[in-house]
Amino acid sequence: MSLLKYLGQRLVYGFIVLVIMISFVFIVMRLVPGDVVALQLAGAGAVSEEQISQMRAELGLDLPVWTQFVDWMKNAVTGDLGNSLWSKLPVTEMIGERIMITLQLAFMAIVLAIIIAIPAGIYSAMKRNTWIDNTIRVIAIGGLSIPNFWFALLLIIFLSLTFNWIPPLGYQSFLTNPIVNLQQMFLPALVLALSLSASIVRMTRSSLLEVLHADFIRTIRAKGAKEKIVIIKHALRNSLISIVTLIGLQIGFLLGGTVIIESIFSLPGIGSLIFESVTKRDYPVVQATVLVYGALFMLVNLIVDMAYGWIDPRMRPS
Amino acid sequence: MYPASQVNPDIELKGNVSGKRIKLTKAKEETKRFIKTQRMGVVSLSIIVIIILAAICAPLIAPYDPVAQDRAAFMLAPTQAHIMGTDDLGRDIFSRIIYGARVSLLVGMATVVISMVLGTMLGVVSGYFGKAVDMVIQRIMDAIMAIPPLILALFIAALLGPAIKNVIIALTIVNIPHFARITRGEMLRIKEMNYVEASRSAGASAFRIIFKHGLPNMMAPIIVIASLTFGQSIIAEASLSFLGIGTPPPNPSWGLMLSGASSYMENAPWMVLFPGLILSAAVLAFNLLGDSLRDFLDPKLN
Amino acid sequence: MVNNTILKVDKLRTVFQTRHGVIDAINGVSFSISKGETIAIVGESGSGKSVTALSIMKLLESTGQITEGKILYNDLNLAELSDEEIRRIRGKQIAMVFQDPLTCLDPLYTIGDQIVEVLKIHEDLSPADARERVLELLNLVGIPDAGSRMNSYPHELSGGQRQRVMIAIALACRPNVLIADEPTTALDVTVQAQILELLKKLQAEFGTSIILVTHDLGVVAEMADRVIVVYAGTVVEQGEVREIFAKPEHPYTDALIKSIPRAETDRNQPLQIIKGSVPNLHEMPSGCRFHPRCQYATDLCKQEEPAFIDLGNERFSRCWMNDPEKKDHFIDVLQADAVVPAEAEAANAPMEKEKQLLLKVEGLKKHFPIKKGLFSRTVANVKAVDGINFEIFKGETLGLVGESGCGKSTTGRLLLKLLDISEGEVLFDGNNLASYKGNQLKEQRKKMQIVFQDPYSSLNPRMTIEDIIGEPLEIHQIATGREKSIRAGQLLEMVGLSSGDLYKFPHQFSGGQRQRIGIARALATEPELLICDEAVSALDVSVQAQILNLLKKLQKDLGLSYLFISHDLNVVKYIADRICVMYLGKIVEVADSEDLFNHPKHPYSRALISSIPVPDPTLKRDRIILEGDVPNPANPPSGCSFHTRCSFAKEICKTDAPPLKELTIGHNVACHLF
Repeated sequence: MSLLKYLGQRLVYGFIVLVIMISFVFIVMRLVPGDVVALQLAGAGAVSEEQISQMRAELGLDLPVWTQFVDWMKNAVTGDLGNSLWSKLPVTEMIGERIMITLQLAFMAIVLAIIIAIPAGIYSAMKRNTWIDNTIRVIAIGGLSIPNFWFALLLIIFLSLTFNWIPPLGYQSFLTNPIVNLQQMFLPALVLALSLSASIVRMTRSSLLEVLHADFIRTIRAKGAKEKIVIIKHALRNSLISIVTLIGLQIGFLLGGTVIIESIFSLPGIGSLIFESVTKRDYPVVQATVLVYGALFMLVNLIVDMAYGWIDPRMRPS
Repeated sequence: MYPASQVNPDIELKGNVSGKRIKLTKAKEETKRFIKTQRMGVVSLSIIVIIILAAICAPLIAPYDPVAQDRAAFMLAPTQAHIMGTDDLGRDIFSRIIYGARVSLLVGMATVVISMVLGTMLGVVSGYFGKAVDMVIQRIMDAIMAIPPLILALFIAALLGPAIKNVIIALTIVNIPHFARITRGEMLRIKEMNYVEASRSAGASAFRIIFKHGLPNMMAPIIVIASLTFGQSIIAEASLSFLGIGTPPPNPSWGLMLSGASSYMENAPWMVLFPGLILSAAVLAFNLLGDSLRDFLDPKLN
Repeated sequence: MVNNTILKVDKLRTVFQTRHGVIDAINGVSFSISKGETIAIVGESGSGKSVTALSIMKLLESTGQITEGKILYNDLNLAELSDEEIRRIRGKQIAMVFQDPLTCLDPLYTIGDQIVEVLKIHEDLSPADARERVLELLNLVGIPDAGSRMNSYPHELSGGQRQRVMIAIALACRPNVLIADEPTTALDVTVQAQILELLKKLQAEFGTSIILVTHDLGVVAEMADRVIVVYAGTVVEQGEVREIFAKPEHPYTDALIKSIPRAETDRNQPLQIIKGSVPNLHEMPSGCRFHPRCQYATDLCKQEEPAFIDLGNERFSRCWMNDPEKKDHFIDVLQADAVVPAEAEAANAPMEKEKQLLLKVEGLKKHFPIKKGLFSRTVANVKAVDGINFEIFKGETLGLVGESGCGKSTTGRLLLKLLDISEGEVLFDGNNLASYKGNQLKEQRKKMQIVFQDPYSSLNPRMTIEDIIGEPLEIHQIATGREKSIRAGQLLEMVGLSSGDLYKFPHQFSGGQRQRIGIARALATEPELLICDEAVSALDVSVQAQILNLLKKLQKDLGLSYLFISHDLNVVKYIADRICVMYLGKIVEVADSEDLFNHPKHPYSRALISSIPVPDPTLKRDRIILEGDVPNPANPPSGCSFHTRCSFAKEICKTDAPPLKELTIGHNVACHLF
């Protein structure tokens, strides 16, 4: 099976999952009490039935759910995700601006986590059952247990009380002002990296220890290889599959975490967008945002699969 | 009937030994082994028990009414009267933390139990029957997992409105796939075991295989995941409450307390410190328990 | 032999930290090996043979430690070397080949890389030179098309080829000593023959000394110059191979040799057994470790551990009977032994009754679809079982032999409909099971039960023995409550356990005992036919004999029929009345066991029988060594599927599949030669 065919299959599979996901979101939003029209007219005092139905028609909400869904899907396939029911802005535009922030945040967090966690995990495994190992393990499980928003608050308090420094407010993009951008982004990225690196440390350590018990490690030692080669060239590479799997799975948590972190650090990312639009029942925006999350997830999965193939010849599509 | 000459008719069954009793003895032995080998587990279990007791006996322990506002005691730093200080409405933080444990534990417990039961059911059915059933269930699980868990919880909770019940619904939906995925894998593994083949050739029904062979042999990973999920649900409830779509005020919830505190964090850091500390301690206890259960139940380590 | 010694192990003791405390894995192991010599360390599981091998290389797990003794390699004591110093010896001076070539190669690197790795560790080589050496080594170990094969990954090679790669790695730096730890145990018998042949050839070429660690006395007889017999962590006997086999001094060695079925073993006599099972390391018996299982044991043996007694001519034995001063302790037992006939119990007399048909299989096929893609389209079929016919008569044992992947286990499962039948008929007492479903099937299955290979996965670890044996009773409502317990207890006693074992869990039993429990469960529905799927293959030799005897006894007492599936031809020969030989999903030959062994017709049967290592060092035979491995059943060769490995293959063999023809009465062969 060629790579192209494989990619094609993944695409079809991803499409199916996205359709299930989006129909769930689409239907649930319209079934649940709470209506965008009622919300928008809430401030207008007494409203006649006529006004309401007129507004419904304007927003295209008078059509049966099924028709709305098909129409939306048709447009979505062509890349048109509709306009916000509130600001009337095209949804793609609204998301486009914000997603870069979230992606930058997530990317920085992942890189930070990997840089911190993999060496720590290796070190912990090599020094198994010493005080160093125990310390690393305690920190790791602590990192997994501390809610990131509390950690963020503590960091801010700590920095402002001891250094009298708070991250600059008002978001600036990396392209216009890289220094301010990094000053703003570093802290939230660090906070997001906390639980990710905690789980990577644990996974690196445990899978290394497991691989070190494998039969082939004994073969390599029997060759007379140095311990460094045994660990880095063989054991670590064999552990990478589980580490990569973990990172793939944790990216979901990471993206979820951005909602709360963006709100603490006042970053206008996609996380805060979905939060606002669900509350306001801004259907097209919610649908589009969920779609973007889903697509991101698929993309991450694809990258993880590619990484499997790169790491392990047994997992290459033949 | 096989020739009677081959069968010993005078079987002596030890009268008072029954299968049930033997299983009970085994459970006792296992508990002893847990206490002996898993010190961390015992410590974390004790912490959990203390938190549970505190939640149950909240009215006896808490020095103040958790929702009573006191203008005179506005944002007090910890003193003897208020050991963890008071918040911006003059409420006693220690009392609110004690009562807050009720919310956290309720959400954690309900989420874990419901998602465990539903997830395990789906996973076992998916793994045992395979084919189309498996295909459908798995695609739905994939779809749930494709949305970041907190985002999905936020979506559901925000739609349904702030209420503890809705938080539980949201977190249950988010956690079902974890249980489904792990139990499906276990069922697939167990299905291939010779003891299941033996049972099938003896004519066992699917129901029997799932309940007698499947579930008892996958309890270990289920218990571990349950413990970890418990901790994660406590964090998730706090996160949703922090965003204002979880537990509605004035209920004392740890997340809600932190949310209120964030506006005053420079002036009243104790408002941030204590609820977060107890929240982290509770989650840590569940995570440690999960870890030590994993070590304890891992056949490789025995 | 003067000063030719290259490696000398002296009173070695290795201990492990476990949760039962510190235990001796080996204690007092001594032996030496000379240049170019092959010694075999032979023993059952837990005897410490592998620990001995790993101790020499200092490759023990971190919980293991050498606490006493010396390992002298050319006057250098390996036991005292630092990690860095021993590292320079490993792979260069002393190399090792392990049991399972699949798990012993790093799956992520090409075999070329893995061979280069050892060269680079010990020598300074340019990439071009390294490549040259790899090619040379691959050619040496008989891997065809080395140039392209060196870029293959381990999973792309067959088991036999992987083991050749392991040997290439081990011999890359021309070590003086090669330690081979069960090098052929994971391989099929025809491939085993190739690998043993290769080891002999390379030894002759390089003069390497080989320490062969094995449980297989056949391999020992085939390969070794001298034999070290280990039991429960210590050497019990040592000597030249012919002497050991001809006149074993230690009762353990003696019993071990007698407990293996061989081609000439009388099928009508029970096998000699060693009672009990190998002791756990943390519950070592006092005195002589073998005494609880020894038929000659006296009080002396229970109290004092015998010394390693030098019998001259490099012969040693650790038994009080070999101590001239203690001989009088044994007068009574030896006399008693002389009077009592070997085994009072009579085995099955050959039954010459009218043969009554019990099971008839016709055109049975099982094709496993290989599915690919999103909609799981079937792109190919693995023809695991491809149209086989056979019959089983009442009270008879039919043996089904073949190498891995030939479809023998699949056949067993098809008979019980544990797998869906793709095509064909299974007629049990005239009823076609292929069409049965639901309750009808449940009723039929009662008459046919299965015993599995793996004594660990065949019993649910969470159930008591009572529940395990009681399950079929419950399902078929044969007995419930107290009656169920009584019935389960009776079944346990039938298989030689006690009804007091009812309320225990599987982990409280040894492998052999678990296998007995598995048999008891299978007997619960009072079946007429037992399918024994490699039922004794996972057991130690001494325990295997116990189970074989039990099966024979049950057959005689209960009038059972067996379908005995195994890869071990000698075991099948001993237990079966007739044998079917399978190759790639087809039956290639069916005959009475004696007839098959004495006059095999099909070239595959001939090669298979001649590949079995015979536990008799005096016998030097001409082997038929097949080339290559069993082809992939997903893509079997056209025509006769054996033609790719057959030295008699003609043109017709490549195109036409030969049908099964009757040559003489009861002897059928599928081959164009006949």
